[in-house]
Amino acid sequence: MDLVQMQKSLQDYTKSLFLEGILDSQFLQLQQLQDESNPDFVSQVVTLFFQDSDRILNDLSLSLGQQVVDFKKVDPHVHQLKGSSSSIGAQRVKNACVVFRNFCEQQNVEACHRCLQQVKQEYYLVKNRLETLFKLEQQIVASGGMIPAVELGF
Amino acid sequence: MTVEQNFEALDQFPAGMRVLAVDDDQTCLKILETLLRRCHYHVTTTNQAQKALELLRENKNKFDLVISDVDMPDMDGFKLLELVGLEMDLPVIMLSAHSDPKYVMKGVTHGACDYLLKPVRIEELKNIWQHVVRSRCDKNRGSNNNNVGEKRDGSGNEGGGNSDQNNGRANRKRKDQYNEEEDEERDDNDDSSAQKKQRVVWTVELHKKFVAAVNQLGYEKAMPKKILDLMNVEKLTRENVASHLQKFRLYLKRISGVTNQQAIMANSDLHFLQMTSSLNGLDGFHHRPTTVGSGQFHGGTPGMRPFPSNGILGRLNSPSGIGVRNLSSPPAGMFLQNQNDLGKFHHVSSLPLNHSDGGNILQGLPMPLEFDQLQTNNNNKSIAGSSMAFPTFSTQQNSLIRAPNNLVVLEGHPQASPSGFPGHQINKRVEHWSNAVSSSTLPPPQTSNSIHHQFDVSPLPHSRPDPLEWNNVSSSYSIPFCDSAATDTTNPGAFSRNTDFDSNANAQPGVFYDSLQMRQSGNYGPTTDAAMLSNNPKEGFVVGQQKLQSGGFMVADAGSLDDIVNSTMKQEQSQGELSGGDMGYGGFSSLRTCI
Repeated sequence: MDLVQMQKSLQDYTKSLFLEGILDSQFLQLQQLQDESNPDFVSQVVTLFFQDSDRILNDLSLSLGQQVVDFKKVDPHVHQLKGSSSSIGAQRVKNACVVFRNFCEQQNVEACHRCLQQVKQEYYLVKNRLETLFKLEQQIVASGGMIPAVELGF
Repeated sequence: MTVEQNFEALDQFPAGMRVLAVDDDQTCLKILETLLRRCHYHVTTTNQAQKALELLRENKNKFDLVISDVDMPDMDGFKLLELVGLEMDLPVIMLSAHSDPKYVMKGVTHGACDYLLKPVRIEELKNIWQHVVRSRCDKNRGSNNNNVGEKRDGSGNEGGGNSDQNNGRANRKRKDQYNEEEDEERDDNDDSSAQKKQRVVWTVELHKKFVAAVNQLGYEKAMPKKILDLMNVEKLTRENVASHLQKFRLYLKRISGVTNQQAIMANSDLHFLQMTSSLNGLDGFHHRPTTVGSGQFHGGTPGMRPFPSNGILGRLNSPSGIGVRNLSSPPAGMFLQNQNDLGKFHHVSSLPLNHSDGGNILQGLPMPLEFDQLQTNNNNKSIAGSSMAFPTFSTQQNSLIRAPNNLVVLEGHPQASPSGFPGHQINKRVEHWSNAVSSSTLPPPQTSNSIHHQFDVSPLPHSRPDPLEWNNVSSSYSIPFCDSAATDTTNPGAFSRNTDFDSNANAQPGVFYDSLQMRQSGNYGPTTDAAMLSNNPKEGFVVGQQKLQSGGFMVADAGSLDDIVNSTMKQEQSQGELSGGDMGYGGFSSLRTCI
């Protein structure tokens, strides 16, 4: 695949993520913050996000798996995940967290389990897509090309 | 930073503004850092609140602004906010994914100069420098008096104006001149401020003196110069006093504002006392018959900010300490400390928590204060807590209030206040309160909840119409402040609140009145209290100037209140013990009409 094609692929791919609601404009902001002085900003931040989220999801699984669920512990985790996912623009993850928190407040264990599953699902989805995105970018850079600026029709 | 550095920084301001960013979430922290850098600020980050405090403490002039997340594992963001405001007097911006207005409110009442929601956008960060400028302007205004005096040959500024107003005016004029060369001025001010301020540490003793001086002068009339003269402390400058006074006032306002929200009442007293008691173990404060503070409030005391002691703060950390946190720290400490000296202001702390009564602390204490405050600040709701002057805003208060009627829910009592509007509440409460107070010496003990309400004077009709309990109160109950004769020994706390926090100060009606009088002047109540409380302007006051709310619940109309109370009391007494709810209510209603 030549460079131009790769760049086009990347653009299309990125667009699709926005269109599907997996990413939102916050991600755009991050991309705009990336520049020559900070060339890997987005991937750095996203990597941090993955690290944090993996940990949080783990903790959540543990907490919810207890005999007696301590919602006072569950809620802050979900809250943090909501904060970080919204900061990087992982819209669907954030939305799932919002729902999750509501059920936490109601102390509905059953529903919380379902929410956790939902959050995990969305998280793995966005993780997967972003990793693909970065791979595409790396390919372009490796081919000597520049990452095209994101142009969103909307 | 050296002066030169400051100057340079000022030149390019807002570029180069030094920001300290605190967030335990590394993803958010990284993003925040990059965003801030993109705004051309100079950024330092840390993911621990403790570390942030260390950084700030090691060099107070190293940062211009702090941005902090609210939910952090090692320390609550609001607490950090309070500490920074008190100790370093830096503007703090809160950051959170919580969009719930109550968090925003909490941020504001704790003194945050802004509250941002995550995800943060760069547009929002581009404007945060305004908070630094604003805060500097405030400081300059406060220090301008001295600056002017010093810098401009003190032409009559210092000597002429004892009043803040005079100086203020003069300063303003000069300030205009100054502002022509802003940087220079700022530099000068920073310079002189640096020289002058030297970060006076408002120790308990110092604060006591301060409060005593303010009391003596009258809260309204308290002017920095006069206070300074009265205090007679070497090396204390007028500027120090002025800024301390300002903080104190803000603090008081804040407290009253917060308390209004939270139905401060008893809680505040408790907190306050707690705080005070916890404060450095000030003996004077523990007047309370029961050392309430020490144990009880740990959970709740909102920001009892002990001036010097961190212990109190720890106490305050209780999650329940909403808002109070800020307040509590400084005020509590302050009150306590000042109690002995002031006796007048301390409404809050002096409340002897009479847990022994089952929480009827109020018995006669603070009520008067609050009552006054209520009077004066109908709008301000500040009296918030009538129960406690300052500190208790926190949830504890709420809990207290919930407590069975014992609590005199002056303001913000959820139960008691039918009307959402604090002002109304206050009015009503005051009525009830006075009724209650007069009629009941005993706070319905049974109701005392875990929280020892200091004010458990009697269930206010509003909060919980419980005539029976209410009627328990003996008619001998005398509203501390209105009726000196009523000094009720059973209400040790009664006077203590207003007067020194001498728990055993059963009757210091005189003192109380004095304080009342002082307060009558206006909504200075809160501030005066704050002044009293804040030994450590930075530490004591939870809220810096910016932080203070306009709670102003100071007792505005002690006189009128007294009249009312007296008349009520007479009514009560003439009727003998309240036979029942009817009587009580009857009494109230009559009182109400009076009012």
